This record gives sequence, structure tokens and C-alpha cells, in this order.
Amino acid sequence: MMKSSFLRDCLIALAAFAILAVLPFVYPSRGMSDFVIRLAAFGIFATSLNLLVGYAGLESFGHGLFFGLGAYTFALTMQKLGTSIPVAFALTILLSVVVACVVGAICVRLKEIYFAFLTLAFQMLLHSLIIAWTPLTGGDQGLTGGVPRPPFLGIRLDQPYHLYLFCGGLLVLCLLLMRHIVQSPFGYTLRMIRDNPARATFLGVQVWRMRLAAFVIAGAFGSIGGMVMSLFVSGAFPDFAYWTISGEAIFMIMLGGTTVFFGPLAGAIMLLMLNDAVTKLTEHYGLVLGIIILMFALGLRKGFMDYLAEWWRGRQMSSVAAPAATQARPLPAQPVKVAGE
Amino acid sequence: MDLPALGNCVTSLSCIITQSTSGLIIGMLLFLVAAGVSLIFGVLKVVNFAHGSFYMLGAYLTLTVYGVTGSFLLAVVAAAIGVGLFGLLFERLIISRVYGSQVLMQLLVCYGVILILDDLVKIIWGAEFRSLGMPDVFLKPPFLFGGGVVPVYYLFLIVLTLIIAVLLGLAITKTRLGKIVRAVAVNPGMVSALGINTGLVYAGVFLLGGMLAGLAGALAAPVRSIVSGMGLSVVVESFIVTVIGGMGSVAGALVGSLLIGLVRSFGTIGFPLFTEGLMFLLMAVVLVLKPSGLFGRET
Amino acid sequence: MSKGSDTRRHRRDFIKTGAALTATAVAGFPFVSRAQNKPIKIGMPTIQSGRAAMVGSSSRNGCMMEIEKFNAAGGLNGRMIELIARDTKGKPEEAARLSRELVNSDGCEILFDSESSAGAFAIHEVAKDLGVVVMHMNTETSSLTADPKLRVPTAFRASRQGIHDSIAAGSYAAKIAKDKGLKKWISCSPDYAYGRDSTALFLEYLKHFYPEVEVVGEVWPKLYQPDYTDALTKILQIKPQAMYSCLWGGDLTAFVDQSTIYNLFTQMESFTINVADYTILTAIKNLPKGLHSSNRYLSTFPKSEANAKWAADYRAKFNEYPITWSWENATGTKFILEGIKKAGTTEAKKLADAIRGMKIESPFGVDGTVTMREEDQTLVNYAIGWGQTIPKDPFMPDVTAVDWKVIYELETAWKKKNNYT
Repeated sequence: MMKSSFLRDCLIALAAFAILAVLPFVYPSRGMSDFVIRLAAFGIFATSLNLLVGYAGLESFGHGLFFGLGAYTFALTMQKLGTSIPVAFALTILLSVVVACVVGAICVRLKEIYFAFLTLAFQMLLHSLIIAWTPLTGGDQGLTGGVPRPPFLGIRLDQPYHLYLFCGGLLVLCLLLMRHIVQSPFGYTLRMIRDNPARATFLGVQVWRMRLAAFVIAGAFGSIGGMVMSLFVSGAFPDFAYWTISGEAIFMIMLGGTTVFFGPLAGAIMLLMLNDAVTKLTEHYGLVLGIIILMFALGLRKGFMDYLAEWWRGRQMSSVAAPAATQARPLPAQPVKVAGE
Repeated sequence: MDLPALGNCVTSLSCIITQSTSGLIIGMLLFLVAAGVSLIFGVLKVVNFAHGSFYMLGAYLTLTVYGVTGSFLLAVVAAAIGVGLFGLLFERLIISRVYGSQVLMQLLVCYGVILILDDLVKIIWGAEFRSLGMPDVFLKPPFLFGGGVVPVYYLFLIVLTLIIAVLLGLAITKTRLGKIVRAVAVNPGMVSALGINTGLVYAGVFLLGGMLAGLAGALAAPVRSIVSGMGLSVVVESFIVTVIGGMGSVAGALVGSLLIGLVRSFGTIGFPLFTEGLMFLLMAVVLVLKPSGLFGRET
Repeated sequence: MSKGSDTRRHRRDFIKTGAALTATAVAGFPFVSRAQNKPIKIGMPTIQSGRAAMVGSSSRNGCMMEIEKFNAAGGLNGRMIELIARDTKGKPEEAARLSRELVNSDGCEILFDSESSAGAFAIHEVAKDLGVVVMHMNTETSSLTADPKLRVPTAFRASRQGIHDSIAAGSYAAKIAKDKGLKKWISCSPDYAYGRDSTALFLEYLKHFYPEVEVVGEVWPKLYQPDYTDALTKILQIKPQAMYSCLWGGDLTAFVDQSTIYNLFTQMESFTINVADYTILTAIKNLPKGLHSSNRYLSTFPKSEANAKWAADYRAKFNEYPITWSWENATGTKFILEGIKKAGTTEAKKLADAIRGMKIESPFGVDGTVTMREEDQTLVNYAIGWGQTIPKDPFMPDVTAVDWKVIYELETAWKKKNNYT
């Protein structure tokens, strides 16, 4: 059962990759390929945050720690050590895992809002460090001078199509892996901890260890998002470690939805498109985006995909039950927690 | 790092006095904003990220009323009342709709409001930074004592804020209303079952929080530059204060604000490049050792 | 339709502009017409929101001063300039994205970088990647053009530069210091790259001209820090004879306001180098007398009819004072437009060749001209002067011009020292 669903996911991933690969030939536009690269960065990043928020019930304000760490470690490794791209990737993930182990071990013991603020504190410490350690990081100016993109395995990232496909491929691959993780027994343990930690403890689950594992996995994937961004802008900036980047990921998952696996990706698409369209149309970006966010948050009160999923469930339910029964639309004020998906 | 300089300072009386008063000044304005943030969190469990925008509105209202009437007193009162009413509206129309939702959803709503207010302020008052100028009453040479210097305006500010802090603390701990507020913070269901309108309490807390933030903005206006987005750094520091002091505790907000003020004033001497990092470090240490904050209840 | 409204856009006309932009985007994007008179589009990533929103409005106004003249004179064989400004929100990754979008999707042939320095470096990388001409309008970070490793053949800078300003400031301040015997100095500058670089360079040149100077302390308030009490009390503790500060914008007005109530300025000579810009001069209600500053922008320096007229035209058109970003953007735009005329094309390589080393007439030049220096593609010979403030218009009545010969000489030595040659 488990295995066959993973196989199915692999096939879907392959199909998605194939579509991404031909897309530029059907619709040749560098704007589109730039969009996909940014989507890869934010899609991976937001989905990794949702491993914490949606599955483990850990509301982190400081996930940008790993975005910044990923971008800077990768860019610095490429610039100063001159390694090949896969080596820099591996080193970055390794460092992120180490940092996530240390930070996570301290943070995951705390409850709810305290966890949120402690993660934020750690992220801001990294930000302060980047700003203060100017000789290495370039300080607030950012890491300038470009990130070299030497070819490897026949992949030439200095060519637009290669970069596009590489980032798109990473997006598909990371989503596949994260999907596999949340569908695994580990993923279901996380959901149980989220819904009822006492029960999980009673069943012999080491809650603390599971949360730490989730934190480390999310951190590792988060750093990949940062690496893609650093490839896109060919540098790294302190903004990548500032709390606003965590904020953006939070808005993506809240817009897209936390209970559906593709919610964060949908949110990333929505926020990026909104951002691009609004920036293009008006200089009163804040006003327009703010109103849209409010309409969304106060109107739906949940992410877009959550809403769709609920509507779908409601439809199925009402088609099974007597058609005259009221639509299974929950009362707005009552908090809705859907276990699993 | 400049530890010798810090050592020199803490062994000199005049330096201690000057830097301490400087910490006091930074802390007191921060307290007015942080007290609101802390109360709102303590009572409603809402992370009101838009509180910095209340502070900004207070400063702009002061700018306009002072410009029209020429009376600083009137401007301060208008700002406090105006922003208090705005806080009330904000609670009724917007934030009350997401009570009980995830913290992150509340955060999203606040972010939307921040974006809108920052842009509205720019449309109404312009993008350039503004300055109020020091009202004539306060244009006097600074006081000197013990080798330290304190400007008249800051003395006024410290005294006024201390009075407010004491009154606020008394109101929360001694009055019936304060007891209701504290009871709502612990168990809203029970209070509501006793026939008390909790919705009114929530609105009242926002009114009070808004008034304090408006007052802070008004008092900051003569010495800080007034610009769209000025609330951001203040709200981030307010959250640090709230976490350090303990959420919902007025005393905690006061002590936390003063601590941040002192970290800033002595940090400038000892760690000139890392004062912001120092504040977050302090917050992390408190969270690790005593997550509920210095004055918070264990939950 | 979009052309006319676009070139005459005013900052409050956002709805109209938005509509026009949509129209161009919708009509222009899928069917790129090869008609002779299609507009020359120039993309401008700039900051239009947040605390630094003034960068965007003053930069765009500066550009429009030149673009309108060019279009009124018939453009390039009937091809008009169309400026498309987009808000980066001060984020470097948005600056990178928007620059790419402006070129790749909106069909812009030239980029105007009116961003802060972090954004400028991001746009610089895009220009390298896409091979388009970019004019850096605002960034003062010297390494952008001085460091040969960063050099991009199609990237130019039309703004004042840190190293030039620091040499000028050092030579002027040293003169005052010698006259008055100011030996104990303190610095109070914003804690980020610009603040640190400018301060270090200033102190280096101050000591170069007056070796007896001793730096007795430094304070580094954060960028956008609302409160300077901690910094001020530290300065008062140390009791220096003179202070250097390169705070700017809203930070500077708050600093001056707060310093005034501590009577700071009566206790030392203050070299607040960024005061002499009209936003600051007009925003501070009780502007202290006697602050030393360099001219960010003054309509009275250089004292010429052209400069006074330019400032008057600007004020009449936009109902606000021009500031340093205004003249820099106007200058950058003029280089691009003169380049287009000279090259007869907007093709990147030819245009860059035309601009490199070009000398143009300018109200902001020392002798009525400024030059885009060939070797490092950066602006030189713009007027730098120093003087002292008075509380009322003209705010800085006597401005002493700084000799560019001194600047060139020390700049060359500085480049050698940093291995920039």
C-alpha cells in the first residue's frame, strides 16, 4: 500500500518534471522561467515550514534562519572554496542539519508561542551575526561579486535553460521527498503528536525526539530554498535571514493552506503572482496587497487549499447523505482541525 | 567588542548616571507600547503585530493636531484618544473575527493591516520623513546632576510614564475592572458564565492598548523622525520586552523595557556593533531558563 | 495612449499610470512590434515603499526632468523614451527579479538602478547576466565601480562616490581643525556598510591632512534607529572637540532634534556631512547654526544660473525641493540620452561605447560639465563643496568648493592601496 502510493508519487513527479522541461519550448519566456526558479526557492521553503506548522504543530517564526543559512553557506562555499556545486550543496545541507540539531534541541522543548519566539530569536542572532561579521559576509551590503556556476555532470548553470531546469527539478524532487516523509509512519507520528501529545507519550513515543527530527528535516529543506535563491540572485543578502523572510513563508502557507500537502506550494504561487502583478500595476503595493490579504484572511479564515478540500469533502458527504441535509460548511467561528489529510 | 570601555564606564559615577538615564528614557517610551502588546497578549492571546502601527498613527496625529492648534498638550490628548478609538475599531471590525484561529492567521491579518496603514500614511502625509520640532515649553537647557545630563523634555517623559505605569499597575491589581480583566485572561469561559460580557473586556483592552501606543507615538514625535514604517522596530522590541517580562504582566513590561533600555545604553559602549544581537540573546536566554518570562505565571 | 500619460506621470496619478501600464503590458507583450517608432523603454527598479520611499519619488522626478526634454525634442528619430518604475520595497532579491522582469518581459532596453547599495549590487549582477546597459544612480559605495573584479562593460555610475566625498570631507575638516586646534574627534555614524566605510575613509584623510588628530571614541547607532539617547550620552561622556557623522535622512533629523535638547552642538564642532540636502534642511524645525556639511544638493552651489534655474523648474514641476537623488538621476539620465543620440541606437555595446568617457554639460559640474570617466565608468568632476548651516533659507550661504585635483591624487593612491588597478 505504502510502496504503491510512493511509486504513484514518483510517476507524478516524473510527469511534472517532463512538463517543466518542455514548457520553455511551448512558451518561451524568460519571465516564466524566472518565476519557476523563484517558485522553487519559495515553494521548497514554504513546504518545509509546513512540515513544522501543519504536521508537527510547531509554529515557527524563525524558519528563515535556514533560508539565510542556506543562501550564505552555499554562496560562500562557492566563492571562497571554489568547490563544485554538488559539494557546496552537500556541505550546506550538512551545516544546516548541524545547526538545526543544536537550535532544535533548545527550541522544541518549549510550548507554542514560546517556541515561536525562541526560533525568532535564533534567526535574528544569525542576522546580527551576518551584519556584524562584515569581512566574511559583506555585512549589510550583502555577499557581492556573484556566485560562480561551474559546470558539473554536463549541467551548465550559467545557461538560463539549465538553471531553470535544475531549479525546477529540485522543486519536484524536494516536494517528492517531503511528501514521502509526511506519508511515512514518522509523518503520522508527527500528526498524532500535534493532535494529542499526551496520548503519544502514553503510547511510548518520545515526543521531544520526534519534534527535533521534524525540526532538523524542515531545516535541511529550508536551506535548499535558500540555495536556490542564492543561485537566482547570484549572491546572498542579510534580508534572507531577516524575520520578514519567515513572515513571507508564513503568509504563503496561511494563504495556501496548512492541512493539504500542496497548500504551501499553492500559497507560494499565489503570493508570488500577487506580488508580481501588484508591483506591476501600482506603486501602492502595501495598500492593495493588504486589502487582498484581509479579504482572504477574514473571508475564508483558512488557506485556499484547505477551503477547497473542505468544500470537496462537504460535497462528497452531502452526496452520500440525504441531499436535503444542510451543506457541511463549518461555522466560521469554530476552529477547524482536520487530522491528516 | 570594547570591554575596557565598558569597564571604564561602570567604574565612573557620571557615566553610570548618564547611561542609566539614557536607558530609562529609551525604556519608558518602549514601555508604553510594550504594555499594550503584553496586555493584549495576556488577555486575548493575540499577538498584535499591528501595535507598532498604532504608535505610528499616534505620531502622525500629533503632527497634524500640533500643526493646526499649536498646542502640544492638545495634540498628545488627541493622539491618545484617536488611536485608542482606532484600536477599538481594529478589535471590533478585524481582529475579533480571527479569535480562536491559529496564531499565524492572526499574524497574517495584522500584517495586512500594517501594509495598509503604512501606505495610507504615505498617501495622506507624504513619503518624506517629518519632524515635529521641540515645543517651546521644553526648550530649556538640560539639567545636570552627579556629572550626568538630562534634558527637560526627557525628565517630563520619564515622570509622566512612571505615573502611567503605576496607575496602570494599580488599576490591574486593585480595581474590580482589573480583576475582571485578569480573570478573563485565565478563564474567559468561566467569566462569561458569570454574566460578564467578555467581548466588552476584549474591546476595552484594545482601547487601552491603543491609547498607550498613541501616547507613546505622541511623546516620541518631538524627538524622533516621523515616517511611514516607523512602527516596525518598536513592535519588534515590544515583543522582546513582552517575552522577557512575561506576557500579560504590567510590571514585567516595565522591567523588560528598562532592561532593554539598559542593554541598549550600556551595550553601545561595550558591544557597539552587536547591540541588536544582544537583545535577542537576552530574549533567548530568558526563554530557555524561564519561558513564561520574569514576571509571568507558569502555565 | 500609454506613451503620453506615462511620460508625464505624476506620483499621485497612480491609477492612471497603472491603467496605462496594464495597457502597454497587455498590448505590447505578446506581439512585439518592430515598428520604427516604438518607444524606448527604460526599466527603473527603485524603492517606493517603506522608510526609504523618498528614494523612489525623487529619483523618478530627477529622471523625468531630462526625459521630457528629450521626448519634446522628438526623441530618437521619433522613438520616445518611456520610463517604467517598479517598487523593489528595498529588497535586493526583488531588485534582481524586477530588473530581469523589466528586461525579459516588459522589453526594457536599458536599466536605471535607483536602489540602495545592496540592491545596486544585485542589479549589477543582472546587467552582467543579461548584457544590458545599466546606470547606477544612487549608490555611493566606491567598490562597485572601483574594483576591477566587479566591472561590467555596460554598467555605469552617475552618483557621488564615497571615496570622493571622504577625501573632500577630510581636506575641509582638517583645515578647520588646524585653525581651531580640534584634536580630539569622535564619530557617530550608522552601523552599516556606508556608515563604516565613509567614517573609516574620512578619519584616514583627516589624519592625512592633520596628523595630530586623535580619535577618542566612536558610536554606531543602527540604521533607522529611532532613539539616539544612548549614542548622545556616550558622546557627552567622552567630551570630544569635534564630531563626524554620516547619518542621513530621517535618522539624521531625529539625531539633530535629539542632540539639540542635549545642547550637544554648542559643546563641539559638528561635521554632519549629510545635512545640506533640502529634505533635511526643511524638515528640521530648529536647525542649529554652524553645522558643517557637504552639499548633498543645494540650488546655490555651484552658484550658477543653470543650477538655480534647474532647481526652480524642478520645484515648479513637482512642488517639492530637489535633493541629492534628484540631481544624480537627472545626470545619469542625461548621460544615457546623450549616449543614445551619439550612438544613434539603443544597442547595448554601442551605447556603452558612446557613454564611456563622455563629457556633458551639467548644472552640477565644477565648471559646468561632468565626465563619465573612461577607466572605471564612474562620474567625476561633479561639484563638491563644504560650508556651515544657518537656520533659514539659503541654509548654507557660503560654500567652499573642494579641488578635484586633490581628490584625483588621493583616489589614485587609494586604488593602488586596495589593488584596484
